[in-house]
Amino acid sequence: MRSKFELGFIIITILITSMFFLVIGSMFLIPSYEGFINALLSENMIYAITLTIYTSIISAAIVMIFAIPTAYALNRYNFPLKSLFKVVLDLPIALPEIVVGIALLMFLGSNGIGEYLENIGIVLVFNSLGIIIAQFFIAFPYATRIMYSTFAYIDPRYEFVSRSLGYSESSTFFNITLPLAKGGIITTSIIALARCIGTFASVLFVGGGILMKTETLSVSMYLHLSTGDIDLAITAGILLVIISIITIVIMEKYAESTQESF
Amino acid sequence: MYLEVTNLCVDLGEFKLDNINLAIEKGEYLVLIGPTGSGKSVLLETITGFYSPESGEVKLNGKLLNNLPPEKRNISIVYQDNILFPHMNVYENIAYGIKKDFNKEEIDQKVTDIAIKLKIDHLLHRNIATLSGGEAQRTSLARALIVKPKIVLMDEPFSALDISTQAKLTTLIKEVASSYNTTFLHVTHNFNDIWNLATKVGVMKGGKIHQWGTIEEVFSRPENSFVADFVGVQNIFKGKIIEINKDAAEIELNKNLVITSSDKQCLKKIYPEDKTFDEINFDSNVLIAIRPESIIFSNEKFQSSARNQLKGTIKGFIESGPNYWVKVDVNGFEFIGLLTKSSAEILELKKGNEIYLSFKSLNVNMIDEYHSFNKEIH
Repeated sequence: MRSKFELGFIIITILITSMFFLVIGSMFLIPSYEGFINALLSENMIYAITLTIYTSIISAAIVMIFAIPTAYALNRYNFPLKSLFKVVLDLPIALPEIVVGIALLMFLGSNGIGEYLENIGIVLVFNSLGIIIAQFFIAFPYATRIMYSTFAYIDPRYEFVSRSLGYSESSTFFNITLPLAKGGIITTSIIALARCIGTFASVLFVGGGILMKTETLSVSMYLHLSTGDIDLAITAGILLVIISIITIVIMEKYAESTQESF
Repeated sequence: MYLEVTNLCVDLGEFKLDNINLAIEKGEYLVLIGPTGSGKSVLLETITGFYSPESGEVKLNGKLLNNLPPEKRNISIVYQDNILFPHMNVYENIAYGIKKDFNKEEIDQKVTDIAIKLKIDHLLHRNIATLSGGEAQRTSLARALIVKPKIVLMDEPFSALDISTQAKLTTLIKEVASSYNTTFLHVTHNFNDIWNLATKVGVMKGGKIHQWGTIEEVFSRPENSFVADFVGVQNIFKGKIIEINKDAAEIELNKNLVITSSDKQCLKKIYPEDKTFDEINFDSNVLIAIRPESIIFSNEKFQSSARNQLKGTIKGFIESGPNYWVKVDVNGFEFIGLLTKSSAEILELKKGNEIYLSFKSLNVNMIDEYHSFNKEIH
């Protein structure tokens, strides 16, 4: 027999979850099957999917390459202004994405370093490079946070023992720390990838939201909504939901398997 | 000296090591004992090179280690929770330290040899998560020893094990220590580790080593009240030297109670051989410490050579295994003695009865550090 307290909490959980399910699920009911297939196979959508996937994979890879040493340094070493560095890196998580987008545009555009870069033939805004930079800025703080917790969870004495057995700091990092952080690295990579795929406002600003040029899935959804092309907009939305579900399932599965093995 | 730690100070913010001095000869087994939080692990990790000292020196075989990274020191460490690498099996854990220096056949041979010695040869391909506490600790010890370290540091290696496993592992470590002629520095809060393994002992608290030396020196001649209290000397009294010569001192606890001490080491310090009475200058305030097992009880006055013969009243007993701790009031001072249960029966001890206590003046330790430790007197 469940207590009233227990029952009350379970009912709240079921109600709220159902609400989320209905809202997200209703998107799948809006387009007709034909409309969905046509939109999915349209040149526009294929371009958006391809652009989103390739920019996101590149951004997520760059994010991981830099998030691992940054998180490790913040967790293991003491250096001047460390607390300030942590705050700066956490800031984009708290800031609305649009602020990061505008800041990036100002910095990379002609008001910032854009003019100098343009003189040497580098353009960082309104192209794929801009998208990658925007995705990097959004995903990097999340990745650093999760990797920080991963390293915090690894007892430094594993590293002490390895070093006492004759291995240098770098050998110990590759032989011991990284293998022990494997679960965290995979989880962080998936989250970073998901963040890159779903990034909207900053990609819109830095990429410029140009059809068939800087049109990622989220930007595509926005552009087609504003032109009244509902089928294309909803299809882009559905694809984003599917990608998110796959990401979460992989994460959950991996979390379970790593918990079992350690 | 083989390992020499001189005036070592470490500041980790929340924890400090304060002017640590320590020396170990090759092949010695030094057990450092102290309550939790006394800085034992920090000391080991500083010797290993994980923390940099603020000042002071760590030398091994005459070579200064201060600026040498941990991987160049050849000092192994064994932790209480073994810290086996979870992504490697038993074999891989043991082989880890030598896999960069030898070929596969040589590694196989070395791992098998040490595994046989530590009786874990049947476990080599097991996942470390399936090992018992004792097996994991033996694996950890094998991993530490296979690199032929100059010194092995043991951080409470038995504290996570049950008593019978502790006993087996102790025997094994003793065998290993003598057959490999390895030098050990072992920190613990368990006195059994001292009786079972130590050739030397140190007492640590609050980031400081209060005393170190042979077991006899530390246990029978504690240098301050903390050491005396910690190692189990329970009769610690504050007194005043009223008479002194080169062989003995008379210490007055109160007007009715004077104790004689022939604590040669302390007397030598206060009254050096080459000085006359007029030349010495000392603080007459001292602490005296008498180990409970040095006190002999009798129902009648003693006919013995012991210079301290006292009469008191039994205040109570505390049962402790096969023994009783007996509390006796002597002129307002509570003395604690240790008696076997059978002796207590023979003496027909009862609370409130009068009893005679006797102890040799040689067994009365004087601690002339009263001023620095008077806060700890109880």
